[in-house]
Amino acid sequence: MLEKLIGIIEEQLNVEGMEITEKTSFKDDLSADSLDLFELVMALEEEFGVEIPSEELENITTVGSVMEYLQAKGIEA
Amino acid sequence: MKTDITKLLGIEYPIIQGGMAWVAEHKLAAAVSNAGGLGLIGAASAPAEIVREEIRKCKALTDKPFGVNVMLLNPNAEEVAKVIVEEGVKVVTTGAGNPAKYMEMWKKAGVKVIPVVASVAMAVLMERAGADAVVAEGMESGGHIGSTTTMALVPQVVDAVTIPVIAAGGIADGRGLAAAMMLGASAVQMGTRFVAAKESIVHANYKEKLIKAKDIDSTVTGTTTGHPVRCIRNKMTKEYLKLEKEGADFMELEKLTLGSLRKAVIEGDVVNGTLMAGQIAGLIKEELSCEEIIRQIMEQAESLM
Repeated sequence: MLEKLIGIIEEQLNVEGMEITEKTSFKDDLSADSLDLFELVMALEEEFGVEIPSEELENITTVGSVMEYLQAKGIEA
Repeated sequence: MKTDITKLLGIEYPIIQGGMAWVAEHKLAAAVSNAGGLGLIGAASAPAEIVREEIRKCKALTDKPFGVNVMLLNPNAEEVAKVIVEEGVKVVTTGAGNPAKYMEMWKKAGVKVIPVVASVAMAVLMERAGADAVVAEGMESGGHIGSTTTMALVPQVVDAVTIPVIAAGGIADGRGLAAAMMLGASAVQMGTRFVAAKESIVHANYKEKLIKAKDIDSTVTGTTTGHPVRCIRNKMTKEYLKLEKEGADFMELEKLTLGSLRKAVIEGDVVNGTLMAGQIAGLIKEELSCEEIIRQIMEQAESLM
């Protein structure tokens, strides 16, 4: 899943070639602002066919937190 | 003029006054509401009890609906959010973030929730979170801004959501209102126009600067910090932009703008203060009452549409 996630993140945030791990913070490491995160959520929803409520955005701060959220929703890929 | 927004909010004209920090206090909000628009109290970074007082003072001045703008970066935002419910405020607009966590509380209390959005994705997610409408605010606006223009943002947001859209940024007369309607908006929000209103408490020096401002007199500070702010060019912006160019860090830049809006609004320091204003300031030629502003805009818009 990490690989797939990285692909989406790279495309949405234009951070191709940057090192991205589970610990990577969207804001601090990838300079994403709040509008970028809305874009990312839309892309994740489309890719994984899941609805991410806006309340969750506060908890989605790192790549790992996205993985945890998706896994908790039963998404494996 | 009836639109989805006038019906939703129970107001006469589709004109909303922006919730500007320091400027949008109870007198201005009440004057706009009494004139048939929707006045807003800007909670900005005020403590919750101050906001409560402002709401009560506004109620004493008008029986018409008015709203409160909650600036979500305010450390007191949660308290302010509760005060809005306790005081029975009818409408809330939100800025500087994602209001989703307050949505349930507000909706349960029957508050109409209108987030200010700067992108289509944000508008879509806010609609899904339960927003009653959105303000699509272009970068022509004064104060904190996004990066898309009103002309480009409004029709794209209109196409992406089913809730009514309020256009903001670069609108100050009836032509602007008519144009916004053509783009699919159901109302407009104006900030700068009302900063220059008779009932506005901003210092006479600030108003004079607005009225004298020309089309190219605004600039944007803070693009390097991720918090861009549009204001009228003065000594402060010159120094700020120079520091930014030299790669100054956030703290150094903050020193220049700490308390600078208050300086401009209250003390009338137009040299070192932050004179927040939109690009449309150049269109404003005189200080009129809110009632006159709204009447002129409606007459002009109706003759055009």
